[in-house]
Amino acid sequence: MDYSHLSVVLDLSPAQWQECSTDQESALSLSSFLSQLLAFLNAHIALRDENTLAVFAALPGKSTMLYSSIDPPEQPPDMDSNSYPPFKLLDSAVISSIASNLDSPSDLPSALVGALTKALCYINRLSLGHSALADPRILILSVSPDLATSYIPIMNSIFSAQKLKITIDACQIFGPDTVFLQQAAHLTGGSYLHLNRRDALLQYLIMAFLPPPSIRKILAVPTQDRIDFRAACFCHKNIIDIGFVCSVCLSIFCQPVPVCSTCRTKFPIKTLKRLNASRPPAESNSARPSPASTPLSRPTSASQNGTNGSKH
Amino acid sequence: MPPKEIDHMDVDSDSDISIDLGHNNKTKGKVKVKAGEKRKQDKGKAKAKDTQAYTWEASFTRSWETVQEDEAGSLQTSVEDLLARGRRRRLLAPASAIRRTIIRHLILILDLSSAMMDRDMRPTRFDLMLQYAREFITEWFDQNPLGQIGVVGMRAGLGERVGEMSGNPQEVLKSIADRHKLEPTGEPSLQNAIEMARGSMNHLPTHSSREILVVFGSLTTCDPGNIHDTLDACVKNKIRISVVAIAAEMKICRNLCDKTGGQFGVAMNEGHFKDLLFELVPPPAQRAISRAAGAGATNPAADLMMMGFPTRLPDASPLSLCVCHSEMKSQGFLCPRCMSKVCDVPTDCDICGLMIVSSPHLARSYHHLFPVKPYDAVQDEAAVPDGSTTCHACARPFPSKIANAKEGISSIGRYRCPDCHFDFCSDCDVFVHDVVHCCPGCGK
Repeated sequence: MDYSHLSVVLDLSPAQWQECSTDQESALSLSSFLSQLLAFLNAHIALRDENTLAVFAALPGKSTMLYSSIDPPEQPPDMDSNSYPPFKLLDSAVISSIASNLDSPSDLPSALVGALTKALCYINRLSLGHSALADPRILILSVSPDLATSYIPIMNSIFSAQKLKITIDACQIFGPDTVFLQQAAHLTGGSYLHLNRRDALLQYLIMAFLPPPSIRKILAVPTQDRIDFRAACFCHKNIIDIGFVCSVCLSIFCQPVPVCSTCRTKFPIKTLKRLNASRPPAESNSARPSPASTPLSRPTSASQNGTNGSKH
Repeated sequence: MPPKEIDHMDVDSDSDISIDLGHNNKTKGKVKVKAGEKRKQDKGKAKAKDTQAYTWEASFTRSWETVQEDEAGSLQTSVEDLLARGRRRRLLAPASAIRRTIIRHLILILDLSSAMMDRDMRPTRFDLMLQYAREFITEWFDQNPLGQIGVVGMRAGLGERVGEMSGNPQEVLKSIADRHKLEPTGEPSLQNAIEMARGSMNHLPTHSSREILVVFGSLTTCDPGNIHDTLDACVKNKIRISVVAIAAEMKICRNLCDKTGGQFGVAMNEGHFKDLLFELVPPPAQRAISRAAGAGATNPAADLMMMGFPTRLPDASPLSLCVCHSEMKSQGFLCPRCMSKVCDVPTDCDICGLMIVSSPHLARSYHHLFPVKPYDAVQDEAAVPDGSTTCHACARPFPSKIANAKEGISSIGRYRCPDCHFDFCSDCDVFVHDVVHCCPGCGK
């Protein structure tokens, strides 16, 4: 078995960490999180001398690489005779780069997508150099809730990870379950954990995320069984079972609409009549706004996708 | 073909320039020496001597001469040239978003005539075609998760249905998995096969594409009627025919593609064959719709589709029969309308006919709709901001200077996103645009 590569994506949203450290039931401060995380990272590089590691941070509005084992920092830290040098190097590099990046307070949400795509690019760079990069994986430690605008980029990242055979593990340390990370772990064969007892973080990390995917087959790691693959309609954000999809831009609506709100495509009247007739009667009783009301447009730059029939 | 001969072939297939002709007259690699070869002797692609180039080979004439070593005797610069050419092709692509057909229907017509046993491509044209067809189908479904593929074979003068139209890659792959069932024989019939494909696509709704991809190895076609009538019918039915020829360019194949708006190509070698096939993987741009009716008219190519989003049953749920294979299984997906259990999505429900997809399948198509803007090549060293010495995505240090700067390739190895103004290395540039479809700087 070859060495294994681990990229860790840290969600360092100051606002969320503030809430997490003052949580009523099980508080976890950023400093105690970092000390447990460093123990986990040290365990990874201690498992095998060849193991490689990269750490990325998702900060408010920006993302950055904190540490990578193939580009060591320019000035090595003062060595301490009581600590193992690789551990010391890693710890001081991670802590100092967090400290230098965490200075500007901001209300922007964490740039998780940027950090995730950087981790993908980094693994791509490694796999270009070495022909046999065994078991690359990404571990996302998140504290933020899902960000609706990042749905498409996150899905794109998940599909490219699938293509590169990268396993994505996700650990939601604070806040509600995130559907995006659940899907990421499910689609790439990783595990998703939602922490109940945050003070036992290190134990969770070591038991669930330390073994590389090749070994997990013979271990009982937590897997997700119930993942919701239903979609939310673009008009009312309702979770729906049966939806109506625009053939041009794949926008999802919960009822037949005459005009697609995303790409302004007009649909034939015949289809509307047919679809309205075929809808289950129970659904049509539920309160629904008139089809003429303009639904909310998608928050992404959806309008670039061709206007009505004028593109070819 | 007796297997013994194939074994023989494998032994001496490592070298194209085998010289013991007297000892072994079966040696035929790129240089054809088989005595009984009547038909193929004048084929341009297999010739070692370059008497005259065929029209379809124009861009490939003496291509090795364009590869030149630099002062240090390295091929690096030539490799970079090739890279630049790829970049430029992407930059030349229309900047504005084009409307693409997301719901695709494709009939793959495979030539199963005796011409496919020719060995000008290793190991045989037939085996190579099957191998590439499998890769093509996998890649095609990866990029077109809502599409469907059917397979038709041309064998013994007949069109033969090999695989029904299906949206499940495993099912399509299974239909061409057994090569013994597809053993090539007889003459191919383009007309029969195209008529069969046309018949199976007649009922499709207007918003989906109807495409035929023909892999054609023969130089003849044995048709029962006038193939030009078939061609006209295809034009009328808006079926797009693309042909990848393995032997040579045929007038009728060229006509089929030109009149229906498809692509035509003749494979020079194994790699080119694959390239030609894979060019057809991304969804095609939707055709111009007659604009005489004005912008207010409803667009016949757009429609609203009813889709069901299934509930996935957990692996530990009680066993039940699936409606597609009648197998006892615990995992599966429940159709939201009729609550029957299907094995895999996307599919059409076998009971109520509802199109069942899961939301990731829809999401997989989004990158065709929202592509990443092409990065600009940074040419001027003065434009480099302070403090950026490494690629913004993979942290690789930028090279100080690359010897030759050409159009579309940066002299300092930096490619800048027009939105977030971060610099990326050429590897990440290619990776971001071809695989991730999401800029690491701006996150969209």
